Amino acid sequence: MTTPLLSVEGFSLLAGDAVLLDRLTFAVGAGEVLAVTGAAGSGKSLLLKALAGLAPPDLTCDGTVRTVGRRILVTADGTLFPHRTLGAQFVELLHHHLGLDEHMALRRAVEALEWFRMPAAARRLSLYPHELSEAQRWRAVLALAVAAQPAVLLADAPAAALDPTQRAWMLDRLAGWARENGAALLIAGRAEEGVAGPADRRLLLEADRLRPAPPPPGLAADGDVNREPPPAGAPALSVRDLRVAFRLGRTWTGEDRWLTVVDGVGFDLAEGDTLALVGESGSGKSVLARALLRLVPPSGGQVAWLGRDLAGAPPDALRRARRDLQMLFPDPAAALDPGMTVGAQMAELLETLRPDIPAADRGPRIADALREVGLHEAVAALHPAALDAAEAAHAGLARALLPEPRLLVCDEPAATLAGADRAAFLARLMEVRRRRRLALVYATQDASDALRVGRRALVLLLGRIVEAADSAALVEGARHPLTRAMLAVAQGAKGGGSGGEFGSGLPGDPPSALAPPSGCALRLRCPLARDHCAQEPPALEGAATSHRIACHYWETNSQGAS
Amino acid sequence: MDRTRGTAATPKSLWPESPWRAAGRRLVERPSASVGLVVLITLLFCVPTAPLLGNGPLERALAAGQGSLSFALLGGLLGAAAGLAWGIAATALGPRAERSLMGLAERLAGLPLALALPLAAGLAGRGPGVLAPAAALTAAPFIALVTRAELRALLRREFLAAAQAAGVPPGRILRRHLIPNAALPLAAAAWTALPRALAAESFAGLLGLGLPGSVPSWGAALAAAVRAGDPAALAAPALLLALSLWALHAVGDGLRAAAASGETPRTAGGGRP
Ligand code: SF4
Repeated sequence: MTTPLLSVEGFSLLAGDAVLLDRLTFAVGAGEVLAVTGAAGSGKSLLLKALAGLAPPDLTCDGTVRTVGRRILVTADGTLFPHRTLGAQFVELLHHHLGLDEHMALRRAVEALEWFRMPAAARRLSLYPHELSEAQRWRAVLALAVAAQPAVLLADAPAAALDPTQRAWMLDRLAGWARENGAALLIAGRAEEGVAGPADRRLLLEADRLRPAPPPPGLAADGDVNREPPPAGAPALSVRDLRVAFRLGRTWTGEDRWLTVVDGVGFDLAEGDTLALVGESGSGKSVLARALLRLVPPSGGQVAWLGRDLAGAPPDALRRARRDLQMLFPDPAAALDPGMTVGAQMAELLETLRPDIPAADRGPRIADALREVGLHEAVAALHPAALDAAEAAHAGLARALLPEPRLLVCDEPAATLAGADRAAFLARLMEVRRRRRLALVYATQDASDALRVGRRALVLLLGRIVEAADSAALVEGARHPLTRAMLAVAQGAKGGGSGGEFGSGLPGDPPSALAPPSGCALRLRCPLARDHCAQEPPALEGAATSHRIACHYWETNSQGAS
Repeated sequence: MDRTRGTAATPKSLWPESPWRAAGRRLVERPSASVGLVVLITLLFCVPTAPLLGNGPLERALAAGQGSLSFALLGGLLGAAAGLAWGIAATALGPRAERSLMGLAERLAGLPLALALPLAAGLAGRGPGVLAPAAALTAAPFIALVTRAELRALLRREFLAAAQAAGVPPGRILRRHLIPNAALPLAAAAWTALPRALAAESFAGLLGLGLPGSVPSWGAALAAAVRAGDPAALAAPALLLALSLWALHAVGDGLRAAAASGETPRTAGGGRP
């Protein structure tokens, strides 16, 4: 290899006596993509700042950092100047770095934005950053970085907040740019943020030191997929043609305008069975989860628990059903009333859902539930503000277990947790579920999580099911382009190699429920779309009785893949 | 992982302060708010007793505060009640009522409402029965707007859905979860009626259209001093008026801060001993 563009030798970062980074040595050559992963707070951002020469002044740097050519740092928040148009920001940056005049700079800007497939790139240049959606803002941030043609591009958790398929596509474009232009690209971020996807090499920053990241287990290869046999017995929860729509107001002709969030979803769930709802933002999985418990009112269809329809149930019957159906919320801390102690809220639940338990027994029951999830019973006396995120998540689980439910509906539980805390919480959830033989409905945007938890999975797009199958079947042969992309990205993000033709995610943004595309909702992002896709929305049809797909071309398209 | 917090923790960290006490602490920990509180208490103590203290310019100005402060209290309470009721009605009565009620509040809030008081006095006389509702009107639209915004944010919070999932009936959710969590932010919103009513009455008094001459007030005292061309007599009421307005605002800001930081999310790991 020729001389690397970025070479770091024995680089340490010290804050007084504390060692933040300890003798790191690595190099990135031209056209090479290096991913540095690490847990939150492991010092990735500091490393990147220091490499860009922007280390905080109270820290001491040691060792040598050699770079050839221009360096540019993209920070994790992806900031643009708020009060300048995109065009003005391109002009200023390119004038400063490359000495380009305005005309040339704007031409370069459009090229860079088009590289990241910004729709109508030339027109966006007159917009202010707040007028862009989150995804478009990231396109602009990355385009701004590559337009300046740096030799070394440092990117800190780029596009971390976007959907996995969207983010994977952007990172892939970024890596493609670096390879094409012979730049050195260093991407840092948490492993969950998929930074390892497009990388040539991966390093792990742990305990202040760098070491090669261990090859993560592939998803398909191991027993990481739920392959439980389907439980026998009649379905306990049965959902038919469920619809949820919100009224938006009136059009000028006096018609009501509706925003349909869940559109004709149906499934059955036996006792002790597990079902994952997989979808990206706007897929309606979260609203669907809440509609099951009637936390949002359904506008049509039927949710029946043990044969009794909950939609028209009187308050008493609904309360009896709530004893069996409990929920875990995405932000467990926010799901606790800040004004009451944890114990008081748990006692309130017992009081309403289990009037058969005498008041004197409530205290011991609460203590038992807290112990069962691994919390100290004294937590009952605390106010929620005294709990950290992980403790709040466990307290939420304890509260849900109190009435001895038979089904837990989880809406991205532990979405506020990361790393070891998250893994520990999910392990605890699965352990409790096994021990109590709970049925589980688990909504998530992480396809690998979904396959691990759910025996069956429903893939949702814009409130509709696009693929429904057993997890085992999905691993072996997912048929819908969206499922294949989500699985490939989940696999690739962990570094399991390129995920085939869908490994680099999907271009474009998830469709909006306000202005859905005609025909198939995935049409504008689907690499396999044909003319017919625009004309008619595909129906859910079967490859097998337990495997159904909503895509016009699932038969033809999946031949090449399998 | 076993999260056995508490076995190692000291008893003190096991019994952290209740949210109400934490809010109280946040209020008095703000220097401006605690100074404002002291100023207000001192004024409330000195103003009624001023005639007993002597007959200097300061004492006379203090005594003139009787009318101003009691009127501010009357008009402020009225305005606060009207504003809260307005905002709550807009939230509770459904989207159509909300649109019209809030549209009205927004339009009124855009008008120079401080003129309502002298206008009412000019048209309908200067009795407190006319002036107090007019002073209430200067504050109510703003309070209604803030109330509606606070309630909307509160209704979206997840613990209400959690209480619903726990089977708590709506009436109890209202009593045990909604009202306690709404109390502080709404009190902070309602408090703003006091300085508004005080300022509005003083402004009207300065124009000679405030409280009737028999009732002493700072606005009237200022007007008299201006007419007499006496800068010394001007200083004391002007100072006292400015001081009480500042103190009312400072306490209001403190209340807002106390209400707001109850919602800041805690970072992971922050609560571990
Ligand atoms: S119907 Fe067409 S656009 Fe939709 S997923 Fe299938 S191939 Fe893609």
